[in-house]
Amino acid sequence: MKKNGRLGGRLLIGLCFLFLYLPIFLLIIFSFNAGNSSAVWQGFSLKWYGDLLENRLIMEAVATTLLVSLLATAISTVAGTFAAIGLYSLGRRRREVLLTVNNIPMMNADIVTGVSMCLFFVAFFGLWGGFAEWFNAQQSFLELPTRLTMGMGTLLLAHIAFDIPYVILNVGPRLRQMDKNLVDAAMDLGCTWMQAFWKVILPEIKPGIVSGALIAFTMSVDDFVISYFTAGSSTQTLAMAIYGMTKKRVTPVVNAVSTILFLVVLAVLVINNVREARLERQRELIAAGQPVRQSPIVEKVSQTLSSPKGKYIRWGGAFAATAVFLVTVISLTAFTSSQPVVNVCSWGEYIDTDLIDQFEEETGIRVNYQTTDSNETLYSLLKSGGADYDVVVPSDYMISQLLEEDMLEELDYDNIPNFDLIDDRFKYLPYDPENKYTVPYTWGTVGIIYNSTMVDEEIDSWSCLYDDKYAGKVLLIGNSRDAFGIALKYLGYSMNTTDENEIREAYELVADANRRGVFQGKVMDEVFQTMEGGNAAIATYYAGDYLTMLENNEDLAFAWPKEGTNWFVDAMCVLKDAPHKEEAEAWINFIASTDANLANMDFIWYASPNKEALEMYPEWYEEQYDEPLDEEIYNIIAAPQEVLDRCEMYVCLPPETRALYNELWVQLGI
Amino acid sequence: MSKELIRLDRCTMVFDEDVVLDNINLNIQDKEFLTLLGPSGCGKSTTLRIIGGFQMPTSGDVFFDGVRINSVPPYRRAINTVFQKYALFPHLNVFENVAFGLRIPKTDANGAKVKLPEEEIHSRVMEMLEVVNLKGFEKRRTTALSGGQQQRVAIARALVNRPKVLLLDEPLGALDLKLRKDMQKELKRIQKAMEITFVYVTHDQEEALAMSDTIVVMDKGCIQQIGSPKDIYNEPQNAFVADFIGESNIIDGIMRADGVVEIFNRRFQCLDSGFEKDEAVDVVIRPEDVDIVPLEQGQLKGTVTDVTFKGMQYDIIVDFYGFKWLIQTTDLAPVGSNIGIKIDPDGFHVMKKSRYSGMFGDYSSYSEEFDEISQGVGDDEE
Repeated sequence: MKKNGRLGGRLLIGLCFLFLYLPIFLLIIFSFNAGNSSAVWQGFSLKWYGDLLENRLIMEAVATTLLVSLLATAISTVAGTFAAIGLYSLGRRRREVLLTVNNIPMMNADIVTGVSMCLFFVAFFGLWGGFAEWFNAQQSFLELPTRLTMGMGTLLLAHIAFDIPYVILNVGPRLRQMDKNLVDAAMDLGCTWMQAFWKVILPEIKPGIVSGALIAFTMSVDDFVISYFTAGSSTQTLAMAIYGMTKKRVTPVVNAVSTILFLVVLAVLVINNVREARLERQRELIAAGQPVRQSPIVEKVSQTLSSPKGKYIRWGGAFAATAVFLVTVISLTAFTSSQPVVNVCSWGEYIDTDLIDQFEEETGIRVNYQTTDSNETLYSLLKSGGADYDVVVPSDYMISQLLEEDMLEELDYDNIPNFDLIDDRFKYLPYDPENKYTVPYTWGTVGIIYNSTMVDEEIDSWSCLYDDKYAGKVLLIGNSRDAFGIALKYLGYSMNTTDENEIREAYELVADANRRGVFQGKVMDEVFQTMEGGNAAIATYYAGDYLTMLENNEDLAFAWPKEGTNWFVDAMCVLKDAPHKEEAEAWINFIASTDANLANMDFIWYASPNKEALEMYPEWYEEQYDEPLDEEIYNIIAAPQEVLDRCEMYVCLPPETRALYNELWVQLGI
Repeated sequence: MSKELIRLDRCTMVFDEDVVLDNINLNIQDKEFLTLLGPSGCGKSTTLRIIGGFQMPTSGDVFFDGVRINSVPPYRRAINTVFQKYALFPHLNVFENVAFGLRIPKTDANGAKVKLPEEEIHSRVMEMLEVVNLKGFEKRRTTALSGGQQQRVAIARALVNRPKVLLLDEPLGALDLKLRKDMQKELKRIQKAMEITFVYVTHDQEEALAMSDTIVVMDKGCIQQIGSPKDIYNEPQNAFVADFIGESNIIDGIMRADGVVEIFNRRFQCLDSGFEKDEAVDVVIRPEDVDIVPLEQGQLKGTVTDVTFKGMQYDIIVDFYGFKWLIQTTDLAPVGSNIGIKIDPDGFHVMKKSRYSGMFGDYSSYSEEFDEISQGVGDDEE
């Protein structure tokens, strides 16, 4: 009985650990995968670690993360230590109250901390702008910047703010253990308070300070949510970069960088724990009256350092470290502030990053390249005032919405001669009828992806999505616009209808299929893993992404339904009052060029709107890879005109229709 | 005989509307051993902290050698302290603990920072370790020492700076009885050898009587009496002092004339004078001043209710007309026996009535344990 209980307990613990660590273990395994799938093992390789080192976005994010984390750790450790000393010199009641206040930020949801800091900074910048204008008008001696934006500064402030409580939490217990009379004793023996701090308090609470600093550092490196809201548009931490990369699909580069991050944090925590265990053992030895033995090396080093000569080594070391750090910070800031800049916001994995380097080399303009995950996120970022982008790449319907709200700047097409290279089919589209605001970036279609081993018939209609034959094997696309749009198309209506009855009919079609258990679930990016792993028969997704899946599972096939489908254009626009409009137009012109379009088309497998590039691609591909491009594949990337004729582009729906979509989507409840 | 070194002039200390010290006046002579004695919370530690410079009095002045030092910080006073729980620096060994004060650069007359040469530090520390009998312990960690050894490190650490005054805050409180007795002698010896002023805080009256030149008895933030140990014991000024120092039976009495005091409606001869005729007074009779005599010879007659064997003597509780006395005697009188007692005129000490009258001196609730507990409670003022 008892033994069984113990066995059950062990089993439970085993399961807990398995549940905790298996995902991390898998992540680490797949970072060494030779292929680019996260589901299918294709042999061992270090190539993703190599890619990682060459990935400029990630390396920049790593630099930012290290800089912010180190600075925030240093500052918050000093501030937190003194705050803790202050707290512990107060009376018990006031100290308890303040400690509770100190604990709140740690327990508070990160999202609340992040959003409130974001709002605070935006509010402050507003007030500052008013003050700076008034101040500049009063005198001409000093010119204050009127427009402040979120960036490294706000990110650092936020990190310091959320790190300090952890330092206080770690230093506090050491102070509580410390005999209060020690400081009095030191002052009694001739020390000023400051001397007493250095000679007595600091050595006593040093272990607490070191653990506080280590925890603060890991918290800083680790943080995503608060950084996301306070970094602004021009700064990106590693966690944010990883998040941006998972938007499109999880490539093994993400696995590689996550593995490294995991190991770094693990290492810091292990160091901290080992250190504390050793101190504990020393305390026990001392309590038992036994001499404390140290390893000969440690003893030698500590002897050298505490000898009179060691003083110079200590000071020299500290000075050198500080100097290196300052020089790095200064050169980084000087380097970044003297150059012209353009802030670009796009989607994850949506550019050949070599293009960024190439553009910078050609023009000397530094590109700050950021990503978000969806049109809706981009919209809310722009609306909150938290973003400071120059160029964005929204999809068609979002462009109409931004235009409706007067958030885009008219382009000067004299600065964008490459606009002439764009195929006329992609100009003067409904979202920008006079084409005064946009230059197309890519275009593509939505179609049916299916596993030919699980489907016998030739797929040519949306009907298969609602067919009992495939019960439990169909993946519903995970956003309301696409899910209902496809149903509308199948029923023979427009995807952009505002007729409530038609929309309700489409809803009924989807809901009915759902009740019959046709859908396995609704998915966005999980579609990659599920389809590649052969775990579902049918899905709807973007044509370009089908090709990525095909690389990992040759059984997958693609079809455009005869009822027609959605086609979309993502286009580059400049935001109203963008601070770097000239640089932004230079960037747009560069991306619109034939070479850039070829590189992008090859990298992301979405079709190019550049007429020349689109036509040249098969030829260019053969030159590049020494093998001909499969015509079928080319046709899937660049849907032929007769397919496009059957397709419809989304337009921005009126608010009441959008509300209806949301309501029905929630009602569907998959 | 000697000159005044420290003077507290009308010092009052208030914490959060709590009056901890109430208008204290105190003179401390050069080279004397002065003890501040009183129960927990009487203000003795606060007085010490004011002298040490760790607290500034809310009102009143502190003088050192005739100079007002209210706002002089501790590190610029020629005073050192031995703290209650020693407050040794745990990260330093014995030698470095003692050398701590010597290693702090001092500002000389010209305002320049002066550091003592290493040889001088070494010789002074070693000399001081010899004084406190800790030679050979230099390299030890302080956390590995016994309580008595730590105590001596603390004393050496303070004295090595050659202060004019050494403050000791209940330094023997954490030691066991035997060690405490040895350290009392040790401290007295060191004080004589160093020829400096000791200001000593304790709640242990025996310790105070054994070591001090002057005892300052304090209670509720006020000084109750200042005097030599003999004065304090033999001539307590009020019921509090009489009760706190040694054992006392304190009885309501009436002064009928000079040298005649009335208790229990009987008149006794005494040596006190200078009271009004028929003035109500408190009469102190020390337990050892009472002689047990056969019933018929007794000035007073009572019944024995409790006997405790104390080794050198018996503690006997006797009920006189409902009032219980403590008598210390070598003659055993069994519980329940009726006895008579006799008191010589010099056994009476007559005091004016004070706010402590009626609060002490009755042994109705006598219990040794109770006494121990009330004395044993630490003097933590936090």
